[in-house]
Amino acid sequence: MARELREVVYIDGVRTAFGKAGPSGAFWRTRADDMGVKAVRELLRRNPAIEPERIGDVIMAATAQVGDQGLTLGRDVALLAGIPHTVPGFAVDRMCAGALTAVTAGAGEIAMGATDVVLAGGVEHMGHHPMGADVDFNPRFVAERLVDASAVTMGATAENLHDRFPQLTKEDADAFAVQSQRRAAAAWENGVMRETVVPMSVFTDEGWRMADRDEFLRPDTTMEALAGLRTPFRAGGRVTAGNSAGLTDGATACFLTSERTASELALEPKMRLAGFAFAGVEPELMGLGPVPATRKVLEQTGISLDEIGLFELNEPFAVQVLTWCDGMGVAPDDERLNPYGGAIACGHPLAATGVRLMAQLAYGFGERPRARYGLTALCVGMGMGAALLWENLRG
Amino acid sequence: MGDTAFRLARVASAAGPLALLTLDNGEDHTKPTVLGRSALASLEAVLPQLETGDWIALVVTGKPFIFAAGADVDEFPRMTRPELAREGSRAGHELFGRIRALPYPTVAAINGVCVGGGVELALHCDLRTLSSAVRHFAAPECFLGIVPAWGGTQLVPRLVGAKTAIRFIVENSMRQNRMLDAARAHELGFVDRLLEPVEFLDESIAFALEAATEGLPERRAPDLSDTAELVARARAQLDDSLHGAAPAPLRALDLIEGAAGWSIERGYAAEEDALAELLPGHEAQAAVYSFGLVERRAKRGVGIPAAEARRVQRVGIAGAGLMATQLATLCLRRLEVPIVLRDLDEAVVEGALESIRGELGGLAAKGRYDEGKARFLGSLVSGSTDLEALAGCDLVIEAVWEQLEVKQGVFAELEAVVSPACVLATNTSSLSVTEIGAGLEHPERVVGMHFFNPVAVMPLVELVRTSATDDVTLRTAWETTKALRKTGVLVQDAPGFVVNRVLTRMTTVLMDALEHGNTTEETDEAILRLGLPMAPSVLLQVVGPRVSNHVLETMHEAYPDRFPLSPTLAAFAAGSEEIVLVGERRRSVEEITNAALEAMADEIRHLLEEGVVAEAADVDTCLLLGAGFPFFLGGITKHLDQKGVSSRVAGRPLAQIRIAAPAA
Repeated sequence: MARELREVVYIDGVRTAFGKAGPSGAFWRTRADDMGVKAVRELLRRNPAIEPERIGDVIMAATAQVGDQGLTLGRDVALLAGIPHTVPGFAVDRMCAGALTAVTAGAGEIAMGATDVVLAGGVEHMGHHPMGADVDFNPRFVAERLVDASAVTMGATAENLHDRFPQLTKEDADAFAVQSQRRAAAAWENGVMRETVVPMSVFTDEGWRMADRDEFLRPDTTMEALAGLRTPFRAGGRVTAGNSAGLTDGATACFLTSERTASELALEPKMRLAGFAFAGVEPELMGLGPVPATRKVLEQTGISLDEIGLFELNEPFAVQVLTWCDGMGVAPDDERLNPYGGAIACGHPLAATGVRLMAQLAYGFGERPRARYGLTALCVGMGMGAALLWENLRG
Repeated sequence: MGDTAFRLARVASAAGPLALLTLDNGEDHTKPTVLGRSALASLEAVLPQLETGDWIALVVTGKPFIFAAGADVDEFPRMTRPELAREGSRAGHELFGRIRALPYPTVAAINGVCVGGGVELALHCDLRTLSSAVRHFAAPECFLGIVPAWGGTQLVPRLVGAKTAIRFIVENSMRQNRMLDAARAHELGFVDRLLEPVEFLDESIAFALEAATEGLPERRAPDLSDTAELVARARAQLDDSLHGAAPAPLRALDLIEGAAGWSIERGYAAEEDALAELLPGHEAQAAVYSFGLVERRAKRGVGIPAAEARRVQRVGIAGAGLMATQLATLCLRRLEVPIVLRDLDEAVVEGALESIRGELGGLAAKGRYDEGKARFLGSLVSGSTDLEALAGCDLVIEAVWEQLEVKQGVFAELEAVVSPACVLATNTSSLSVTEIGAGLEHPERVVGMHFFNPVAVMPLVELVRTSATDDVTLRTAWETTKALRKTGVLVQDAPGFVVNRVLTRMTTVLMDALEHGNTTEETDEAILRLGLPMAPSVLLQVVGPRVSNHVLETMHEAYPDRFPLSPTLAAFAAGSEEIVLVGERRRSVEEITNAALEAMADEIRHLLEEGVVAEAADVDTCLLLGAGFPFFLGGITKHLDQKGVSSRVAGRPLAQIRIAAPAA
């Protein structure tokens, strides 16, 4: 019997505001899973045509699978959000590509016909779970020189990229950072952030407050201000707090369905998953990851780069985006690239980020109906890249 | 406690800014936030911002799990003068009144525990939302000997009618301080919206914004025309049960009655008068003292060593009579481990098992257990006439016939069957625990765990340590008591321990009165007018005259001068119903009351001097939790000290009697 592969479409995605990790951040006294619950409940509210009982799997990613992000997050969040216990769930970790991997895993389930509706997303509370906090690195990595010592420090890998590609200067990185901040500020003024961000009340040392805005936004960033920042990863280096994404707390969630189910429920899918690819690179140059991943997905789908009308790339470090631009031949100030700003302005809650990229891409498809395809891509610690290629259904 | 404050945040919305006020004391939920001096000062400081800002609405809420747990009871003992109490009431009226007067919609988002002053704070808001997870919504003021004096007696009837107001403010207080859960509070009309906990505050804020943009929802004011009649009926019922011993609930009824006709201002003035009278008074101060004992001291485990308790995975009950059955049921329900009953008589064992399984079935039918759970628990309990059935137990509670030789025999038999580490606990009420365990090879694992009837209800367990009892055994008994959700008080191995000793001494006075011409009505009245919950003659029926007489005989053997034998009680024990007259010297009810009080003071003095418990507060805890002494009596020693009885009888307040080391 020939099995029919089903098309996977994206219906909707939301996120919490992204907060600063640490005691002075908005989410310091909020549980990671409660943030996931908020995103999930908002998603359910916005999509009443999808009855919770219909969800086939709840897939939530987190890098640190412990504490308030432990307990098999997809299952934990589903139950706490009031989704019926008949709906199963699981947790995923591919560090920064967590949510994207949740999406591809869910897409696989739909494509195989195992389920019709998937709720996928991610949570990362870096305040409660700093990167590498519960990780015990195997000494073989260093002893056998399997990996360069710099690989474990993301900022150091960014400096490595500047080394490898000297044409990518600090000024270029700073300029990109300013652009990201300006575009993000505009996006808060006129739409995409309001569309995709759900405010939530959070308990703080000053009582209950509303977390309704990303805490890393600095709309007034200037080249001069960035030039004076110290370079924590290397003396006289190029990577600063100003041209990187800060440590962040945040949660995201999205709905994927099969194309047929979307039409059965009279949903309005915003994009279709055309293909995806993950690739591995040298861990000490992890920022390179999206380049081979992008090339792989283009080859897989037979689509060429100039058919892509929108790019949503993660910005853990400006140099990482510049590396991709350099490798793919796209100008850093191209208005197809991160038109609503990126992680440098809003923060990067590791596993959760992927769905933010998707939500912004989906919004962008609405504003650019003639963009046929879009790409969500990011790099991953220990040297990987992820690239998901989407077809615009809003044209 | 960290400083308690109202913290103001601004929440932006399309319609304008909403004020979000959080009451927080900076601690976690184990230290509930209270409306003490610090909180009120903070409210006063933040009110001007609320009164002059451009707010479109206000939402008041609490820290996670706690909305507001009432006024600060720790401040009550300082309110010894009427002016202080009056000012306390007036300050709340004024500050909460200013919230009520704010020119935009105000919503109390009741996210957690909401009692006393917390309820009154919420009532001064236009609207209330309530999280469905809340299980503590109540007005316990009468339980503490006062009345709601921050507007509760006036606003509750105006919101939910006189009948509910009376139940909420007066009756629930007097029924072991019963509290409402969220569903019930919503049903009765206290709140406008019942919301799920998961997004409670966000939804409450949305509700407030809705009120701001679309106006306050409609609400029908209740008809208060039946107030006088309902109050009269409630007064009559109270008189029956309290015999005038507690002024607070009656005063609360007066205030509720007034609410039907008074203006708010007049009602508030009446509350101020009431608090000025009640709070410095005897009953309120006593109730606050009792509350402190039960909530704090009793939970600390004074004198309980810090050793590591043994794990209790299997419990044996020696005996299968009424008490043993009750103990088995308690252990089964709370510990959920295998329970084995053993009695010589097979019919008794079968009867006990049937009774226990029947109770489980009844609970399942009421929805307290699901069927599977009830079945499982039923499978955990077994019984036998064979002693070997108790092998493998970690704890055996002995509840056989109250006779030394019998108990010693049972213990000797048990020792042959259980491990040397198994804790052997005796439920004896009057025999010496030391002697019960005297013949054993390992007496260090013997301890007394004296429960009170009815076991399901009475919170006290007298934990009796002998000179041989080791720390691990005592700690195990303490931890098990906690796991059974009871309160353990450490007592030394003296006859009658605390409760039976004091109550039996009281009984000798009453028997003596009966034997000299007084009637049962008179002796009952003498004790009821103290505010004790049960007439002594009724208590005697419940406990049984045989047991009572037996205890008296034991006490007489230990302290013949103070515990004379009673021919009447002996006759009752033998089945007669006739009082045996010994002489003619009829006393007035008041004289009997005084004689009873003096006798109790005397006996408590002796037991304190012997070191049976560490201090007078422990005697109070025992009588509060083991004999149902009401909170407003303050535990007996405080009452005796305050009334001067202790000085008269013992030369000094009982509170001052404390010896350095406990009796051997």
